[in-house]
Amino acid sequence: MSEQNISVALDRDIRGLSLADEKVAIEVKDWNLYYGSKQALKSINMVVPENRVTAFIGPSGCGKSTLLRCFNRMNDLIDIVNVEGCMTLHGDDMYAKEMNVASLRRRVGMVFQKPNPFPKSIYENVAYGLRLQGINDKAVLDETVEWALKGAGLWDEVKDRLNENALGMSGGQQQRLCIARAIAIKPEVLLLDEPTSALDPISTLAIEELIFELKKEFTILIVTHNMQQAARVSDYTAFMYMGELIEYTDTDTLFTNPQMKRTEDYITGRYG
Amino acid sequence: MKEWFKKGEHWIWFSASTVSISVVLVFGLLGMIAWKGLIHFWPHAVYHIEVQHQGGQQEVIVGELHDTKMKQVEDKTAPHGSREVPQYLFKVGNRDVYGIDFRWVSSEDIVGDVERLEKDVVVIERYEYGNVYGHVESVKVNGQVESNPYKALEVLAEQVEKGVALHNQIHQLEKIEIGAINYKIEGLRLEEKRLRAHNDFDAQAEARLAAEGAELQKEFDTLHQEVQVLYKQAQSMGEVTLRIAGERTLNVPVNKIVSFWQPNNMTTAESIGFFLSNIGKFLRDEPREANTEGGVFPAIIGTVTMVMLMAIFVTPMGVIAAIYMSEYAKEGVLLRMVRISINNLAGVPSIVFGIFGLGFFVYILGSSIDELFYSYALPSPTFGTPGLLWASLTMALLTLPVVIVSTQEGLSRVPRALREGGLALGATKSETIMRIVLPMTMPAIMTGLILAIARAAGEVAPLMLVGVVKLAPELPLDMVAPFVHLDRKFMHLGFHIYDVGFQSPNVEASQPLVYATSLLLVLIILGLNLGAITIRNRLREKYKSLDH
Repeated sequence: MSEQNISVALDRDIRGLSLADEKVAIEVKDWNLYYGSKQALKSINMVVPENRVTAFIGPSGCGKSTLLRCFNRMNDLIDIVNVEGCMTLHGDDMYAKEMNVASLRRRVGMVFQKPNPFPKSIYENVAYGLRLQGINDKAVLDETVEWALKGAGLWDEVKDRLNENALGMSGGQQQRLCIARAIAIKPEVLLLDEPTSALDPISTLAIEELIFELKKEFTILIVTHNMQQAARVSDYTAFMYMGELIEYTDTDTLFTNPQMKRTEDYITGRYG
Repeated sequence: MKEWFKKGEHWIWFSASTVSISVVLVFGLLGMIAWKGLIHFWPHAVYHIEVQHQGGQQEVIVGELHDTKMKQVEDKTAPHGSREVPQYLFKVGNRDVYGIDFRWVSSEDIVGDVERLEKDVVVIERYEYGNVYGHVESVKVNGQVESNPYKALEVLAEQVEKGVALHNQIHQLEKIEIGAINYKIEGLRLEEKRLRAHNDFDAQAEARLAAEGAELQKEFDTLHQEVQVLYKQAQSMGEVTLRIAGERTLNVPVNKIVSFWQPNNMTTAESIGFFLSNIGKFLRDEPREANTEGGVFPAIIGTVTMVMLMAIFVTPMGVIAAIYMSEYAKEGVLLRMVRISINNLAGVPSIVFGIFGLGFFVYILGSSIDELFYSYALPSPTFGTPGLLWASLTMALLTLPVVIVSTQEGLSRVPRALREGGLALGATKSETIMRIVLPMTMPAIMTGLILAIARAAGEVAPLMLVGVVKLAPELPLDMVAPFVHLDRKFMHLGFHIYDVGFQSPNVEASQPLVYATSLLLVLIILGLNLGAITIRNRLREKYKSLDH
């Protein structure tokens, strides 16, 4: 995507987005999360719309990353975490006993704050998720790797060195590789946990362009520290504070006409 | 000066000096072992000494100078009331004539120069009774006597070459081929016993075993005849007559000669050649004369086989235990206790492991295996006796803590982000561990293995209880299936050093062998470690850019 296109995208008209008109990807009801005895998320209720970018903003420690990690049950790894409430992905109870965590994570991909490519070749990094599912057919793998790398806007840069170690790439390329790795298994939802916070401005721009492209195929949730980024890339924005969801609406409204005092204080930079 | 202390310079000097002391010690140790060990292989000059004993009788000694020591002798005229008199240790050889190989001679008794070379002296190494020092007078082959000394040497060289070839041939037939047949015949005998024990011994089986037995017996007879012919040939190789010190003559049959050389007539190049071929023999040959002569080949094979088996046992055990403890087990008092126990296990004296190996592996496990699977062979034990398997398992146990601890360290160094990356792609925990965490832990596992190898290859005490012997009749590794014989006893370089150095009847002869064997042991451990270090460095290279 060229520089001009992105500016068109960013300067889009207010299209009158409204949560009520959207198809629901994830629904969260009365969601509480405790770290031991400390409550980190308090009674969260929200719906995440399909094929849209939903951003979570808020000061450090507000619980936005914790909430994001609930969507693919990453918090299961921490012994002291307890959750209550209901969370559904396209109608399936994500925390039901019969839900297989591994297959849930195949439906909900995740990209982390710091690029974390495996110490393998670029090709093997992208093919990893497929191999896990037992797909070892070379033709299928080749096709999917190419598709995923193209989807992550990385194909032209790496097509001649697919067998080189992924750790030799730049930070921005590594992060896009992680995105390619996540989309290669064609998840329904893509979670981005501050994907650009470790990157330089140019790599950040590339990732933002990518997010705009990817939402055609995936439902995207992004946690960001950077309010400008949330304003640029997201369709909907949730503002969280002290484990509570303070305000959740379409991005334009939230940034131009926040309903809550705390939201206004945060986006105008009074604290954060 | 005050300034100097203030800057902390004295600490730098202090630490630098301790480093240099360590370096000097290490190189000093290696240097001493290398020098004392390698000099054994260099051709020693043979001296001619005339001795006038206090009693008046005169004597000529011909031999190699092996050691010099100073003895304090009281002397009122000397400045300190005593003076030092050098004492020389000569290897005079000819044990069948003199009774002893080595003699101490005081310099006071020596008439004339000590360092006078004996001209044209010949040293003969024999399969038995050690070396001969003397002059070739004549060589007798098939009744023909050659008494021209130069021609005689040529004839001798020819005959010795043939003799050694014959000796090797006999050895090959007896040890390897007849040995293999004996092994198979023993197998048949055991099979019969087993069939009888299971009541399966019918006419058909009897006929089959008898046929196989007859076949083997025929092979055996053919080989036996061949060997007999060769023995006869060996006996007709002739003999050499030597004039030895003390105006005596000594006849040496050619088939008893390993090699002969003229140390005093060698050029430098010849000396180097001799030195290298001696090293080669030391590595290739089997020990002779209660391990004081010959080579250490069986001990090398035994050591390497045992260490390799140990590595095969300890790696999976240690890695799996470490994975369970750091990935699955819940942190708590129990896990802490287990950790402490493992760390303390590393401090248990090795002989205790030997006792455990003997008590548990050999007596309990081994006897049970014998009762279950080899009951037909009882009362002669198969696994209920010390052997290669139990030795390597005991060593694996001894080195287990090292592997566990370094694997755990490696596991804890794998970034959490990578595990999450794997899990986020729908991998289960075990898939993440197998495909991502474990490959990245490989360098740490290799480090553990390197330490384990170094420890296991050098350990002697526990091995004495669980399978090492002074002289093993067969190698634990050979060309007869199943190739690695886990039930066999074996030789080990570390034990060999102890045995040669401290259990040998001929202390002076064995002393250089102790150093040479020590050097070899160090080099083998170094070699095994270098192999492992190379693999580790390759792996590290692969993951190096991971350390952000």
